[in-house]
Amino acid sequence: MFLTRSEYDRGVNTFSPEGRLFQVEYAIEAIKLGSTTVGIRTPAGVVLGVEKRVQSPLLEASSIEKIMEIDSHLGCAMSGLTADARTMIDHARVTAQNHAFTYDEKIKVESVTQAVCDLALRFGESVHDEEAMMSRPFGVALLIAGIDELGPQLYHTDPSGTFVRYEAKAIGSGSEAAQQELQDKCHKQMTLKEAQLLTLRVLKQVMEEKLDQHNVQLAQVTSEKGFEILDESSLKQVIEEM
Amino acid sequence: MTQRPQQHSFNPYTENGGTILAIAGADFSVIAGDTRQSEGYSIQTRYAPKVFRLTDKAVLAVNGFAADGNMFVKKVRQRLEWYRHAHSKDMPIRAIARLIQTMLYARRFFPYYVYNILGGIEEDGTGAVYSFDPVGSYEREACRAAGAAQSLMQPFLDNQIYFKNQTPAPGTSFPQHLPLNTVLSLVIDSFTGATERHIEVGDSLEMYVVLARESPSIQALQNIVGIQERTSTADGERIFVIRRDLKKD
Repeated sequence: MFLTRSEYDRGVNTFSPEGRLFQVEYAIEAIKLGSTTVGIRTPAGVVLGVEKRVQSPLLEASSIEKIMEIDSHLGCAMSGLTADARTMIDHARVTAQNHAFTYDEKIKVESVTQAVCDLALRFGESVHDEEAMMSRPFGVALLIAGIDELGPQLYHTDPSGTFVRYEAKAIGSGSEAAQQELQDKCHKQMTLKEAQLLTLRVLKQVMEEKLDQHNVQLAQVTSEKGFEILDESSLKQVIEEM
Repeated sequence: MTQRPQQHSFNPYTENGGTILAIAGADFSVIAGDTRQSEGYSIQTRYAPKVFRLTDKAVLAVNGFAADGNMFVKKVRQRLEWYRHAHSKDMPIRAIARLIQTMLYARRFFPYYVYNILGGIEEDGTGAVYSFDPVGSYEREACRAAGAAQSLMQPFLDNQIYFKNQTPAPGTSFPQHLPLNTVLSLVIDSFTGATERHIEVGDSLEMYVVLARESPSIQALQNIVGIQERTSTADGERIFVIRRDLKKD
C-alpha cells in the first residue's frame, strides 16, 4: 500500500493514478488525532462543546482555546492542528467584517463557511516565480455555528475544502462513538438546555479523564445573545445538572 | 517668436441636466425622472432613461453627468449579480444603499459626477428612499428631489409631504404617510411644474412604482392608462412603470 503511495504523496497537488490527493487525505487523518469536538443545532440556537486535553497538572487549562468567535453571530470550534485554525478564523473574521462594512448586514453562516473553504484549497498555489504561500493543506476541521435570516445553522469543514450542514456533528479522536451517540439521542425539537446536556454527555463518554469545568468548554449562538462562551461557573452548573 | 505661458485644463465632466425624484409611502415607493438629456442649450436626446430597475424591490435614479451615471448603474448591477451568486439571494435595499456608498467613496478623488436616489421596499415591508451625494454620504428619507430642478421641487415636497409651514386644523393632525394616488399626483405636478420653469426638464416622465408584498396600494394602480409591470418573480414585491409626456419646448 505504501509502495504505491510513495510517488504521489510528495506533491501536494498531484493526483495519484487512482485519483487521490494523498496529502489532503493525510490532513483529514490528522484531525482524527485531535481532541473531540461536538456541535448540535436546535431551533433556539447552536451549541458547541470541546474536550480540552490537560496534559499536565501544571498546565493552565484556561489558556487552551478551541472555541473562537468569528463575529457576534458566528462561532467556531476546532479539532486537529489548532494552530492552523488561527489562519482560517482570521480569514473568516476579516470576511465577516468586510461584509458588514460593505453591506451593512450580518454575513450568512453559509457564506462565511464558503470563504473559509475557499482558503482551505489554496495550498501549493503560487504566482509563477514566487514561493507558494501555503505549502500544505490545513490539518484542522472546523464546526462553524451561527444564526442568520435562515435560522440557527451548523456547518462542518475539512481540509479538502468541502463543507456540509449538520443537525449534529462530532469531530476529532472520539468522533465515531460520539457521532453514533448523537444520532441516537438527537431530535429536531431539542431545547438549548437539552443540547448543552447532550453535548456534555457525549463528551463525557469519549473522554479518558473525568469531565469537569476545566477540561471541557461550552459555547452557544442564540438569537438573543449571539455568540458566547459559557464561563466556568455556568459551565459548572450545567455539569452538575447532568 | 516669444514664449508665453500656456494654460491647460482637464474637463472630464459634463452636466447633462434633467431631474429625479423619489417619495416613500408606508408600503410603496415611487421613483421618477424626466428623460431629457441636454448639454448647454442643446438637447442631445429626448429619451435617455435616468431611472433603472435593479431588483424586484429596488430602483435607482441617477442624475448629473450621464456617462458617469450609466457606468455607475452598470457597475452596481454587476455587484448585485455577484452578490446573488455568492449569497443566493437578492441584495436587500439597505445593503444596496451601503454598497453604493462604498462604491462612490472608493472614487473619492475622481468621483462619479452623479447624484443617486435609491427607492424601494425594505426587508420589513416599508417603503424606503435613500439619497446620496456624489462621494457617498447617504441617508434614508421620505422624499427627495435631485438634479436641475431640485431647488424648484424640494420646497414643494417639503410643503406637500412633510406639511412644512402648514398648521393642522384644530383637533386634526397631518398623516405620516400619503396614499399612492396622492403621491403619483404630486410627482406628476412636480414634473409639469419643473418643465414650465426649467429649460433642462421636459420631454417625458418615467415613474417607477415599487409595491410591498400583497400591498393594498395596488388598488391605486388599477385604472392608470399605459401602466406596465416590470416584476421578474412571482409572490414578492412588484414593480410598475408609468410613462407620461412632458412639454418638449
